Parts: sequence; structure tokens; C-alpha cells
Amino acid sequence: MAEPDSHSLRRRLRSSQVLLGAAGALAFVAAWYLLVRFEVWRFAKLPDPLSVVREWTARRPQYGVSLYTAAYYQDIWTSTVRVFCAFALATLLGVPTGIALGWSRSVREFLFPLLELIRPIPPLAWVPLAVLMLANQEAAMIFLTWIAAFFATVLNTMLGVTSIDPAYVRAAYCLGSRPQDVLRHVVVPAALPYVFTGLQIAMGVAWFSLVAGEMIAGQAGLGYMILSAYMDLQTTTIVIGMVTLGLVGFLSSALVRWLGERLTAWQFS
Amino acid sequence: MRLEGVLTAVRVSAARGTRLRTKRVESVRVLRGAAGIMGFLALWELGVLAHVPILAQIPAPLEVARAQWQLLHEARYYVDWLVSLERVSAGFLIAALVGIPLGLLMGWRAKFRYLTFPVFEILRPIPPLAWVPLSIVFWPTTESSIVFVIFLGAFFTVVLNTLAGVRAIDQRYVRAAISLGATPAIIFRRIILPGALPSIFTGLTVGMGITWSVLIAAEIIAGKSGLGYMTWEAYVAGAFPIIIAGMFSIGVAGYASSAVVRLVARYAMPWTKPF
Repeated sequence: MAEPDSHSLRRRLRSSQVLLGAAGALAFVAAWYLLVRFEVWRFAKLPDPLSVVREWTARRPQYGVSLYTAAYYQDIWTSTVRVFCAFALATLLGVPTGIALGWSRSVREFLFPLLELIRPIPPLAWVPLAVLMLANQEAAMIFLTWIAAFFATVLNTMLGVTSIDPAYVRAAYCLGSRPQDVLRHVVVPAALPYVFTGLQIAMGVAWFSLVAGEMIAGQAGLGYMILSAYMDLQTTTIVIGMVTLGLVGFLSSALVRWLGERLTAWQFS
Repeated sequence: MRLEGVLTAVRVSAARGTRLRTKRVESVRVLRGAAGIMGFLALWELGVLAHVPILAQIPAPLEVARAQWQLLHEARYYVDWLVSLERVSAGFLIAALVGIPLGLLMGWRAKFRYLTFPVFEILRPIPPLAWVPLSIVFWPTTESSIVFVIFLGAFFTVVLNTLAGVRAIDQRYVRAAISLGATPAIIFRRIILPGALPSIFTGLTVGMGITWSVLIAAEIIAGKSGLGYMTWEAYVAGAFPIIIAGMFSIGVAGYASSAVVRLVARYAMPWTKPF
């Protein structure tokens, strides 16, 4: 396929891809603007993109939240700390649990049915129970976020361990490895790509349930910011909160992906 | 003759032995699973009785069982089930009806994909629940806003999995079909659609799971009925055993609906093993 102009062809394709993508995004924003501006159906009730940007970048925002206010960064900080605490806990508890479940058949036989019994309960159905169990508001939020991330981590880690070719494990034993060596040099590295798949999913669901938790039972954070903006009918602030959530969520997923690609670099070589 | 008979007997008894052994292993597995669940319930019951710090606040399993039994005799419980099921199926079906064609088109036509994909990537990281307030403002009824949020929950997963399924199809199949004179309609019907089907069903299964999670939160925030609202109402009213009975019901509902999706998948793709 080494044709002389395949390179420039690819480049031309890429540039048309970028152009089309930009055109699509622009069309989306333009459609949003026009639908709101000309008050088509109920779009009249939504804020248009221009006023969102204006409010977002205003030194003195009309509704109290913009890039120049401390409250905005406080909410981002609160939510981010919650997500990362829960995510760290889910990793610390979930990866070892997943490895134990995948490696030992007795552990799997004793614990897996229990796990499968609890797992279909959506993380958000835990909200009332979490608030009830943990008097501390912060702990309840972190618990909710944790439980969502935990199952994703455990199941993917377990899948990673069970899909290791048994020949590797046998070969290691044959060559005189002790169980801890097998764990360290065979099981953990082989499961690592799956673990990071799990962690990426975990990061996504962590933001997902944190937002719901904050909206239902929170007193701070981005989810709460959106809900209180709704209570005060400040639709521009709602959109600012949504966009911020999208950005922060995207960045944290990108962080996990970057970390995963660095730690499992052999896969991509 | 005789030797053969002996050999057959040995083979049969060996086979029977393996069958017996697999049966025994299977029953050990079931017993162990049951022991794990019973152990969990016993620890929970004891923890509540002994007032272990966190567990002291929550009802014991026996109380929960009693509450569940009472719920089974109430008409409202079934109404809540029905309302939640209706919302989930409406949102999910719309997501499938819109998402699958969109994903197929995005996978099939590169220009269309370049045009629309960035918008998707911008909107996708926003958690579905963050749409609830805007959705309530926008849609005329609470019911339609809940269905909209459920739709969003499943929509992105369905589209992205469909797209990935189409893109994973080996280009050589398409080229072979073209060189044999297939029209675009035939390529779509014979290659694109069946090739993407497994991935589409993965998307639908995952989407169904998200759907229930979104439903619960949406009902708590905006609803006046449904299983999620029932759970929240029990919390507000202090009827704590009903909270856990509600969680259990939601788990059953979610599990059952995923099972339905898997069943449909098996009928739609008889050539693949059920996943």
C-alpha cells in the first residue's frame, strides 16, 4: 500500500475530517441559537449559547456563577475530590477483590453469587440507604460514587484474571515460581489491560452517580449547583454546570486512559 | 468380542464417572454460592442486632422480608412496577429506534460520521442526570421529561456501540460484494446489518442497565410514582425496611429487563453463542 501519494491523500482526508467535524459542531450551535432565538416550540424556555458564554465569562455574572467567581471553583473542587476519593477507594478495594475472585475458585464460588445478587441494584437506588447509613453527608456521597465504581472495577479485573492463558501460569510453576511470584509476574501484568478498562468505566459511572447523589441529597458540588440553579430558574447556570461537568468528566477519563496507556505500554508497541 | 465389550463397559463407566463428578462439582458450586449469600445475610442480621455502628441504622433482613411480603399484597406496589416499566420501555425503545439507524449511518458513511461524531463527543461526557433540570424546563409534562432523560441514558451507548460494530466489519466483505455486483441496499442488508448486530446488542444490554439507574434518580428528583419514588418516599416517611425491599425490586426489574434483551439477542442472532 506504499503508493507515492498515499500520504498526502491521507492528509487531505484528515483535513476534510476536521473541517466536517467543525462544520457539524457549528451547525449544532447555530441550530441551538436559532431555535431559541426564534422561540420555536418550547425552545423559548432554554438559554441560547451566546448568553451562556456571556454569563460564563462575565466578571459580574447575573446569576452568581462564572469563571470569575470563587463559588464556581468551590463546586468543581468539591465534586472532584469526592470522585477521586471514591475512585481511589474503588481501585484499592476492587482490584484485589477482582484478583482474588479470578484466581481462586473457592473465593469465586463463595462470593460471586452474592456479588451478582447485589450488582443489578443500580447505584442510585442506594441513595436513601446511603443517607440513612452514613450520617456524614460527605461519606454518603463518597459511598454512592464508590459503589458504582467498585463493581465495574471488580468485574473487569476478574475477567482479566480468568482470561489469562493457563499455560502461562503452569509454565511459571514448572519453572519453579512460588504462588506470589506467579501473582506478581504473570497474573497482575496479564490482567492490567482489563483492570484499566474497568477503571475507565468506573470513572464514567463515578461521575454519573455523584451528580445524581448531589442532586438528590447534596449541599455542594456541581450536581447541587445545577439543581439549585433549577430551583431559582437560572437556566444559563444550569447549562454552565452541565458543560463544566462534561469537561471535568472528560478530563478525568482522559487521565485514566493516559495512565493506563503508560502502564500497559507493551500492548501498543 | 469380549474385549470390546469390556472396553465399552469401561468407557461407559468412565463417562458416567465424569458425569457424576461434574454433577458433584456443580452441586458444590451451588452450595458454596448459597453459603456465601446466607453468610452475608446472617452477618447483616447479627450486625443489626449487635448495633454495629453503620449497620445499626438499617433494618435487618427479616424485617425487610416482612416488608416485602406486605408490599406484595398492596395494589400500589404493582402500579409502581408498571409505571417504572412503562417509562423504561418507552425511553429505551426510542433510544433503540433512533440510535441504531444513526449509528449504522455514522458507521457506513464516513462523511456523515465526520460531520456528527464531534457533536456526540461533546455531549456524551455530560452525565444523563445533569439533563434532568433542563429536561423538566423543556418538556411540557413531567412524564415526557423523565422518558427523555432515560432515552439519553441509553442513546449514546447504543449509537457508539452500533458505530463500533459497523466499523469493525472486515472491509473485504464489502469489496467482495461490490465486485460481485451488489447494490448498496444489498450490502446494507446482507453485510452491514448482520455484521453490526452483535455489537448493537452489546450496546442495548449496557444501555438497558444504565436506563434503570437513570430512571431511579429521575423518579426521585421529578416523579410522583414508580419504584424509585417508592424507595425515596419510604426514606422520607421513615419506613426503612421498604427502602431495601424497593432496592431489591429495582434489582429484580433491572435483571429481568436485561434478560429480555439477551433473549431477543439470541433469537435475532441464532449464529452466535448467547453471551
